[in-house]
Amino acid sequence: MKKNSAFGRFFTFLVFLFLYAPIILLIIFSFNQNNSNVVWGGFSLHWYRELFQNRIIMRSLYTTLLVSLLATVISTIAGTFAAIGFYGLRRRARNALTTVNNIPMMNADIVTGVAMCLFFVAFFALWKDFALWFNSVQTLLVLPTRLTLGFPTLLIAHITFDIPYVLLSVSPKLRQLDKNLIDAAQDLGCTWFQAFYKVILPEIKPGIVSGALTAFTMSIDDFIISYFTAGSSSSTLAMTIYGMTKKRVSPEINAISTILFVTVILLLAVINIREARLEKMAQRRQAAPSATVAEMAGQKPHRTPFLAKAAAAVACAAVLVTAVVGAFQNTRQPVVNVCSWGEYIDEELITQFEEETGILVNYQTAESNEALYSLLKSGAGDYDVIVPSDYMISQLIEEDMLEKLDYSSIPNFSLIDDRFKNLPYDPTNEYTVPYTWGTVGIIYNTAMVTEPPASWSVMFDDQYAGNVLMFRNSRDAMATALLYLGYSLNTTDEAELRQAAGLIADAKSRGVYQAFVMDEILQKMEGGNAAIGAYYAGDYLSMAENNPDLAFVVPQEGSNWFVDAMCVLKDAPHYEEAMAWINFIASTEANLRNMDFIWYASPNKEALEQYPAYYEALYEEELDQETYETMAAPAEVLERCESYVSLPTETRRLYNELWIGLGIQ
Amino acid sequence: MKRTKAFTIPYTIWMALFVVAPILMILIYAFSGADGGFTLANFSTMGDYTVVFVRSFRLALIATLICLAIGYPVAYLLSKEGPRFQSIATVLIMLPMWMNFLLRTYSWMAILENNGLINQFLGLFGLGPFQMIDTQGAVVLGMVYNYLPFMILPIYSVIVKLDNSLVEAAHDLGANSVVAFRRVIFPLSLPGVLSGITMVFVPSVSTFAISTMLGGGTEYLLGDLIEQQFLGGAYNPQLGAAIALVMMVIVVLCMWVMNRFGEGEEQAVVL
Repeated sequence: MKKNSAFGRFFTFLVFLFLYAPIILLIIFSFNQNNSNVVWGGFSLHWYRELFQNRIIMRSLYTTLLVSLLATVISTIAGTFAAIGFYGLRRRARNALTTVNNIPMMNADIVTGVAMCLFFVAFFALWKDFALWFNSVQTLLVLPTRLTLGFPTLLIAHITFDIPYVLLSVSPKLRQLDKNLIDAAQDLGCTWFQAFYKVILPEIKPGIVSGALTAFTMSIDDFIISYFTAGSSSSTLAMTIYGMTKKRVSPEINAISTILFVTVILLLAVINIREARLEKMAQRRQAAPSATVAEMAGQKPHRTPFLAKAAAAVACAAVLVTAVVGAFQNTRQPVVNVCSWGEYIDEELITQFEEETGILVNYQTAESNEALYSLLKSGAGDYDVIVPSDYMISQLIEEDMLEKLDYSSIPNFSLIDDRFKNLPYDPTNEYTVPYTWGTVGIIYNTAMVTEPPASWSVMFDDQYAGNVLMFRNSRDAMATALLYLGYSLNTTDEAELRQAAGLIADAKSRGVYQAFVMDEILQKMEGGNAAIGAYYAGDYLSMAENNPDLAFVVPQEGSNWFVDAMCVLKDAPHYEEAMAWINFIASTEANLRNMDFIWYASPNKEALEQYPAYYEALYEEELDQETYETMAAPAEVLERCESYVSLPTETRRLYNELWIGLGIQ
Repeated sequence: MKRTKAFTIPYTIWMALFVVAPILMILIYAFSGADGGFTLANFSTMGDYTVVFVRSFRLALIATLICLAIGYPVAYLLSKEGPRFQSIATVLIMLPMWMNFLLRTYSWMAILENNGLINQFLGLFGLGPFQMIDTQGAVVLGMVYNYLPFMILPIYSVIVKLDNSLVEAAHDLGANSVVAFRRVIFPLSLPGVLSGITMVFVPSVSTFAISTMLGGGTEYLLGDLIEQQFLGGAYNPQLGAAIALVMMVIVVLCMWVMNRFGEGEEQAVVL
């Protein structure tokens, strides 16, 4: 055999560099002092310390490892036996089953995920009818009527997409196996299982090991199928990351990935060194006597394959981590399932609430109001508490999806400023407790614009072509165009809406937009990658912390002002816990801390008034009045703003059509 | 071997429940309206999305070809290295997948941004900045990056098992290295190539995270279109199911045609 040329080696090296470059970058930024993934602020182990205190990450790590391990073990065993079974079938039957087996691999992840979600939800509905009937005809056994997505469904989904990989690895090994060997073993008096254990298993072991490793990798890496099947009570690491990649990846995530990664690398190194040493010893032993028969035949001395050891070591490490993290879990706790937006809470509040009340908070995030609505409708999100915006709340109330709140258990509701009570979306205030409020405006980089923009026109002008960021949600994107055209942002007039969509489409085709973004705007504006973007005031303040060149304006044509409020979903299984959570979050202290963390204005009167003093005490410097007014827009700005109201179904359909049309273009 | 047939029963039931039944759900959704009744309306508007179909298949095809062009030589070169190097390298190829793909893609954003690492580096020499992110090129890069291991590993697993005496025989019969490769090695490695193509093409054609993060979300791919219907701003699961169904049918057809060229049953292993 020819050895590879230097050029070949160099090429391989380049490919590895390509594969590892982003990972190296991630590892480097896990040691970053500040919370940016772009701007280096000095070396620090800060995020590693934070990591171990971040319960959300630790919990999702635990779920991820547990589900991956269980799915790997179960699918490896099941897949191996299924492969043996397939092997014994006649060709036609085998081909048919293999085709079905390949479906999860051939199918897009998102389709598999959605399909399973639809299936589970349909099954739960059937189960409910069955359980109600069953409970009514006998009294011995009471079946639970309400089943929800959760860890079991997550596990089922993982097993389902893992088995095909095991099967795919084991089957070729079986095909290489001489059938007569098994017959011979059985002729010699072995039972089938003895023959399996002594003859088949050693032959197909490499296939099993690589199948198991592939299955584990697939489970660890999966995001979208988990997203649809995990329900509201369990989150995998990928789901947590998804919530975080929106604004900025919290460097804690970099830190945990680094730890996982380095652990695996170290394990590989240890195994490899040990192997090398063993081999050397074996060689030394064999150096003196003449070569063995096996060696003359060109066979290597028998040893467990490297891969098997690697897999075993990885499994051990994973079990260890799972056990350690699992020791901190308490599953019998009362829980509350919350869904909010990305980076929309001071996470220490969650810890504090858990410690004070003993109620476990399962905290997930959605991308936008529309995404939340889809999650609720498809049945993938069975939350207790959600934090939608005004117009979505009225839509949810209309569709009878919200539960009335028990205000007697929410004494802190009295602290909410009267101007945020009885708003149009909930006129008699029976369903909501406001969480934050704020305005939408234009964020611009003073170093990149010639003059500060004052009108929405900059969103459609060629002046900053290629440097403008537009909203990636229909309601906000259309609002910018409607405002510029001088229409109400709640218009239901088809011609006006089409004109607005046409304005965006036209600007898009002229290359005005660099991208349609949601929370990615934070990274883009902070890094100076775009000159202009429309977004929420609170997030602007958060960006300005990392890039002092940024500025914010509520354009002259006016804008949207919004309220996000906490609501409880119909038939929420943890109603009392939900009340406790809402009350806790409505407190002045929680509002102050949230304001300080997320820079969105609080509806809590005391908190809003006290914030400048709170800021001064905390940072020993005065709070800039402009900053304060950006966060909590004064009356003269609010006068120019309009809040969204829920649109009729017809108009919503038109929005969808126009919006999809924009994306297709 | 008679008793082993029984082993297929549990898995067949499992597949019927968790593979076939969910797909049937998609089928039912695709043919029903918002009110639940039977309709073909979801398919009647399918023509509007031709652009998206074409765009997705084109980008996925480009990504698959690039993966093949990079992956095949790597797999081939790898198979010629020593056994220890090989086993470490295969694990190293798989290892990046342990860092969540969202994180890795996110990292690419930082590299490709207008003010990102590459442009900053080029800026030192007074070049650029070049617009790299939010282009179709960046989307293809993301696909290649994320799915390259799926191309390398199956090809490698086939090549490494090739009987070297066949190559030697070819040489003895007067073939030079190029001919031996073209006439012997490549045809024998086809099963690996075919599974590699499948495993890169299918996720590429349906991705949505990559196109949102690296493509700027301005031009939809099929994955975006489907995601929008199921999760995004335009909730319409029936239409989403219909689009998913059409996509599935096209993908399956492509794979079926492709597998005609290879040997039907021989499928390669991932590792």
